[in-house]
Amino acid sequence: MIYRILKILFAVWVGLWMAFFVRELFIKNNIRDYEALISRTLEGKHAYVTGDKLYGFLSHCKEIMPEIAKYKFVNIEEGSLDRRRAVYYLYPRVEGKDPDFIIDMAQLMIKKAKE
Amino acid sequence: MEIVALSGGIIALIFIGLNVLHMVMGSSKENRCLPLFPLETIFISYGIGLGFISLEMLIFYLFGVKFTVYGLLIPWVVLIAVNAIRYVAHRDKIVIETRTTESEERYKFLNIFLISGISLEAVYAFFRALIKPIESYDAVAIYAIKSKIFFIAKAIPETYFPILIHGFPHPDYPLNIPLSETFFYIAMGSLNDQLVKIIFPLFFLGILILLYYAIRRFASRTYALLFTFLLASIPHFNAYAANAYQELPLSFYYFSSALLLFSWIEDKKSLRPLVLSAIMVALAGWTKNEGLMYCAINTVLVLFFSMRTIRKDMTWKTLFAPIAYIVIVGLLLLPWIWIKHKFGIANDEINLANLNPVYLFNQIHKLVPIFYELQKQLFGPKKWILLWPVVIFAAALNYRKLFKGIRGYISVSIILAFLGYILFYMISYVDVVFFASKTWARFLLHFLPLLVLWLAYILKEDVKI
Repeated sequence: MIYRILKILFAVWVGLWMAFFVRELFIKNNIRDYEALISRTLEGKHAYVTGDKLYGFLSHCKEIMPEIAKYKFVNIEEGSLDRRRAVYYLYPRVEGKDPDFIIDMAQLMIKKAKE
Repeated sequence: MEIVALSGGIIALIFIGLNVLHMVMGSSKENRCLPLFPLETIFISYGIGLGFISLEMLIFYLFGVKFTVYGLLIPWVVLIAVNAIRYVAHRDKIVIETRTTESEERYKFLNIFLISGISLEAVYAFFRALIKPIESYDAVAIYAIKSKIFFIAKAIPETYFPILIHGFPHPDYPLNIPLSETFFYIAMGSLNDQLVKIIFPLFFLGILILLYYAIRRFASRTYALLFTFLLASIPHFNAYAANAYQELPLSFYYFSSALLLFSWIEDKKSLRPLVLSAIMVALAGWTKNEGLMYCAINTVLVLFFSMRTIRKDMTWKTLFAPIAYIVIVGLLLLPWIWIKHKFGIANDEINLANLNPVYLFNQIHKLVPIFYELQKQLFGPKKWILLWPVVIFAAALNYRKLFKGIRGYISVSIILAFLGYILFYMISYVDVVFFASKTWARFLLHFLPLLVLWLAYILKEDVKI
């Protein structure tokens, strides 16, 4: 009896496993991401996961700011994922209290702090 | 070229780990040592290699030494030489399990299905990890930023602990994985945060291998494959093999430490598995702060077992075992604890000073959201399929067996882990509803492999394959 119940549970388990596997690929549409990512370079993948527009802007910021520069973000939530990614991509440039640059994350604009 | 360098880095780490393993488990008296299967040896070596190279990098910081591939590998030549001498002089070696598996014709189709399912999940874990660079929240904000800092400086910068660390979240989180990522960046010569993610599916695969062989030691091949498949098929478990979070490395270190601890409890012939267990659980503490809880849980089990056996077996080994365990764990964690103490790096969410009856009594109201969030986790099939209902069913069915023999130690470990996390929530400053909803599922992953092993033990007599 117990063995039979366990066999049924296993069959249900396998059914759910297959359903969730398909859901993960097709209903959550991860397959679309994989298709888009597979042919991209590492830079292209960074751009895709961050958003092409934001990543392009952060690359522009990296070109403008010297590596020792400090910056301050405005118009972005403190703990947001975009902010965390921006901090990661911009390093060794760091956030500072006396910034050299102000980065407006809503307008995607960068300007010198003391102009 | 980067792939070649990455592969070389992985092989070097496994070789270093193998030498540490040989140092601990190598013996000329084969009957005194736990035999390990070849794949088990490789993955335990991988975990040790990763943990020891990152500890070495922390020690380099203490001496102001910069990171280079050769600089990091050369000190290990001493250990390799000692092992070579031991082998030549005494024929000391790791005992490799040579038992082969006979094919079970009766369950041939089931075996093929289970192997296909496990392989599919393993391949998918590697694919999912390696298709994207590091991008998920904690992986970027807490860990990858640190490995980038270390890679650019080719060291842990002098200003890192006193100044720089405070500009990023969770400065107190241990550095095993960030430093391991740094090691691979240095080996590749570039900050390839896509290829470096191979660390995580390797831990996923390692856990599956350890679970399979742990079950093989007491059951048939089909039975071991069945439970390995159950673990591999859990969507939440697979997802964490790809997102560069620290949950699976922690899970691997804790699971391997628990397996070695239980084999010492069952066998008692040699202290070697216990020493290795202490090393693995210390590396769990060096991977995530939650690992310190597992250090405490294992130590409690060692103390309990020693006290139980001391009446029958009053030998130096029984007396020495708990002391050795605590000393090994303490020594391996000492550099990190010392650095944290020196620079006043503390957790901003949890204060252990709150672990007192008065404070805890005042936090009793938190139990409602803690258990509410927990039940949401347990009965949500999207993450766990049917795992938790099956666990409850199996426990109810076999409640008399739960605390007998080795099952008892596993049950106690799981209960203590549950209680430990509930305590975390109670002493935390973070809003409990937010904290529990964000972290319960992750915390459960830390002892998930042990739970599946427990299930395999409990259902052994009910499932006749």
